[in-house]
Amino acid sequence: MVAAGVLLILAAGTLAVALARWPGPADRAFSLVFGAGGALTAAPALAVLAGAPPSELRFESGIPGGPWVFGVDALSAVFLLAIAGVGVACALYGVAYLRGERGARAVGLAHLYVALLVAALVMVVTARAAVPFLIAWESMAIAAYVLIVFHHQHAEIRRAGLLYLVATHAGTLALFALFAVWGAGATDLTFSALAERAPLLPRDGGVVLALGLVGFGVKAGIVPLHFWLPEAHAAAPSHVSALMSGIVIKMGIYGLLRVLTLLGSAPAWFGWILLVLGAVSGLLGVLWALAQHDIKRLLAFHSVENIGIILLGMGAGSLGLAHGSSTLAVLGFAGAALHTLNHALFKSLLFLSAGSLTHGTGTREIDRLGGLARRMPLTGVAFLIGAAAIVGLPPLNGFLSEWLVFRALLHAGVGGGGERIAILGAAVLGLIGALALACFAKVVGIIFLGVPRDPAASAAHESPAGMVRPLLVVAGACVLIGLLPVLVLPPALRAGRLVAGVAGGVVAPDPAAPPATVFMLGLAAALVAGMLVTRRWPNRDQIAAQTWACGYAHPTPRMQYTASSFAAPLLALYRPVTGVRTHRSAGAFGTHAIDPVLERVLRPAWRGVRAAARWARPIQGGRLSLRLIYVQAAVIALLLYLLLEGRTP
Amino acid sequence: MTWTALAALGILLAGAPALPGIAIKTKAFLSGRRGAPVLQLYYDLVKLLRKGSIYSNTTTWVFRAGPVVALASLLAAALLLPLDGQAAPVHFEGDLLAFAGLLALGRFALVLAGLDTGSSFEGMGASREVTFASFAEPGLFLCLIALVLATSEVTLSGMLGGSLGAAWSRAAPALVLVGISLFVLLLAENSRVPVDDPATHLELTMIHEVIVLDHSGPDLALILFGSAVKLALFGALVVGVFVPRAGLNGALAIAVLLAGIALVAVLVGVVESVMARLRLTRVPQLLAGASALALLAVILLLR
Repeated sequence: MVAAGVLLILAAGTLAVALARWPGPADRAFSLVFGAGGALTAAPALAVLAGAPPSELRFESGIPGGPWVFGVDALSAVFLLAIAGVGVACALYGVAYLRGERGARAVGLAHLYVALLVAALVMVVTARAAVPFLIAWESMAIAAYVLIVFHHQHAEIRRAGLLYLVATHAGTLALFALFAVWGAGATDLTFSALAERAPLLPRDGGVVLALGLVGFGVKAGIVPLHFWLPEAHAAAPSHVSALMSGIVIKMGIYGLLRVLTLLGSAPAWFGWILLVLGAVSGLLGVLWALAQHDIKRLLAFHSVENIGIILLGMGAGSLGLAHGSSTLAVLGFAGAALHTLNHALFKSLLFLSAGSLTHGTGTREIDRLGGLARRMPLTGVAFLIGAAAIVGLPPLNGFLSEWLVFRALLHAGVGGGGERIAILGAAVLGLIGALALACFAKVVGIIFLGVPRDPAASAAHESPAGMVRPLLVVAGACVLIGLLPVLVLPPALRAGRLVAGVAGGVVAPDPAAPPATVFMLGLAAALVAGMLVTRRWPNRDQIAAQTWACGYAHPTPRMQYTASSFAAPLLALYRPVTGVRTHRSAGAFGTHAIDPVLERVLRPAWRGVRAAARWARPIQGGRLSLRLIYVQAAVIALLLYLLLEGRTP
Repeated sequence: MTWTALAALGILLAGAPALPGIAIKTKAFLSGRRGAPVLQLYYDLVKLLRKGSIYSNTTTWVFRAGPVVALASLLAAALLLPLDGQAAPVHFEGDLLAFAGLLALGRFALVLAGLDTGSSFEGMGASREVTFASFAEPGLFLCLIALVLATSEVTLSGMLGGSLGAAWSRAAPALVLVGISLFVLLLAENSRVPVDDPATHLELTMIHEVIVLDHSGPDLALILFGSAVKLALFGALVVGVFVPRAGLNGALAIAVLLAGIALVAVLVGVVESVMARLRLTRVPQLLAGASALALLAVILLLR
């Protein structure tokens, strides 16, 4: 069924190109077939999460590496659900989003690449052998690259694309090494053969885990491997940014979880590394986000933050594996899996809303916007829901998964073993949440509330229904998941149990789910009832007037707080880690943010490599005689080596 | 869910508006004045509820939703505290995150409502509120973590209920640190001296009061009642840590809680009488200090 879904998605992409001459039918056919493909892909995932047995497909490949196996289990299913849901929302949104560019660019081709990207993603999470996994991994990377450079007439977009391409291939290199090390003694490269080989790996699988951390860490955007992420996500068209931030980077998380599943154990140091990386990514991600003025760059940095939260869950889970506490392992991995799904939803929601407001105003500069809640009401509501969800406020989905991660960390604390210190991660979670609240208060407040700061914002218009509808559907999913823990927790815990290696058997339901559900529903009911009651307050005069400016008669939009001034106190307090520069003059105040990893480490290092290369250039001067001497020298060196080894050629 | 828990909640909500009055009365007494009546906030609330509202032309539904969301989230948070010393009306594993999340939800709603007015005063207050909250939040989490470690319980009802008495005999120094830290957080979260001054009339120096500058009538009443409830909740948290009441019967436990919270309000008044408001740049240091105390407690317990 998943295979049929993938074929339909690919067919949709092909139709978008084939019918390029007839834009109307092409768009309709693409949307319809893509939607059907997404539904077919999601159906088996839902079934597996509801308790159906996992399924497998085998093909004899005829190439080295053994048969190609594909399958859906609870871990794949969580990711499949995210891919299908967010993929369809982004593809349908993309149809309306790119409609205006028809004629100027190859829009049909962009749709085809979205289809290819989604198909590759489905293949990544269903592959059960190294060869198809790596093929899917590379297809995903290339399709994403093509989509990132969709507006390739801008030099900075080409540069961002190149940076992404270099980073992703560096990561893939580590993955090749990973499977080479792991598969060295295995019968073939199917995952089941790798799992059998796992107990024989050197250093309890430490080498494999380290390689996975680098290879998958680049994709996930773990600090300090995140440097490509904000550039690439800001450069891509918005529906592609949503796909990348919502789904593509999650493949790094999927990879790590799959490796842990196959290994069946983890050394304690790996859990601690994940916790530390999670804390660092979470805190630095949100602090860097605070300093951004470009809405899409800001959202991209928040992906780094949320990867940090996911890593905190995975770290707790790994500690559970290492210390033999299955409750801790299940809670940690379930929290990580659920936060992955939730982040896919609310982050794509935020990116799609950001695309909508860019569409309506023509700018991504936060400081030029303002008052959009009046001019783009639906986009405003969708963005507000996404913002509240990403901050982790009840009763939305972000809270639910952070709650699972939090419970895992608390559980580590009361466990009584060496893993107790992990409870400090819960405090880090609190700090991340408070900073995220500050950041999204800034974004929502400056963009959607107040009065327009610029003609671009006062002339804004709501986006067409084709863009708004996917927004509202994804926003609805965020609300529903948050309101119904009793439905959402069992599948998440099923995925957690799979990674923790305690799958199977009848499992008692989570006792915390029913009261939490009642509480969330009650909270939502109280909010709605409160709004209704205050709206119908008896005999109440309502007067419309100017904002009270403490007696000042002529407030202007320029007097409002800006994104720079709103975040300034926090950034000043955290200056040592954020790399933010402030510039003030009599009439203006601004902040300028750089990425410390890219600007202070990678670029200088790269300049050093280039200088060294220039120094080494004479060696390869292009003169034939010189080359012959090299050949000669190489032969002599090899002969000497054989002689010293004691063998004669 | 027990009836004593609900009764305790009802009494706490009904009595909350007296707390700011107690603090102000204490302050007046210590400075030799007569001061406003203890029940002043009740009169204010009644008056505001009968008034109309003025809405700025720039505001949207976000401004009107702000006070409602803020109050509703505080009331929901109140449901999670074991006010009768036994168990809260609602409790589930990890409900401490729900408690913190609801406080954050209320803050988010008020900050956005403030920014909706497009005034630089509200913008300034909102910016300060989220800045200082980011220093107070780790403190609150560290206090809760210390309580988790001291009692091995993962619900608010568990750690402030039956297991607390045994924890006092085991880990008294850590719990004292937690209590002090919570009291400092109470001052900060409820915008009292030395972090903020509820009595000042200079908008530039305020935090909380300046965010709600544009609210009027019933909206303002909801916000003022919410502030009183928040003070009561933090008071209940401080009293809950210092006075384990699991052994007392329902009515006595509630009476002890109310007396304790009133004492906390008196302490707030005393602090306001003997201290000046800190410079804004010093506030993060105070809050970091409170977090450091809580961290010390955590370290003592992890030892």
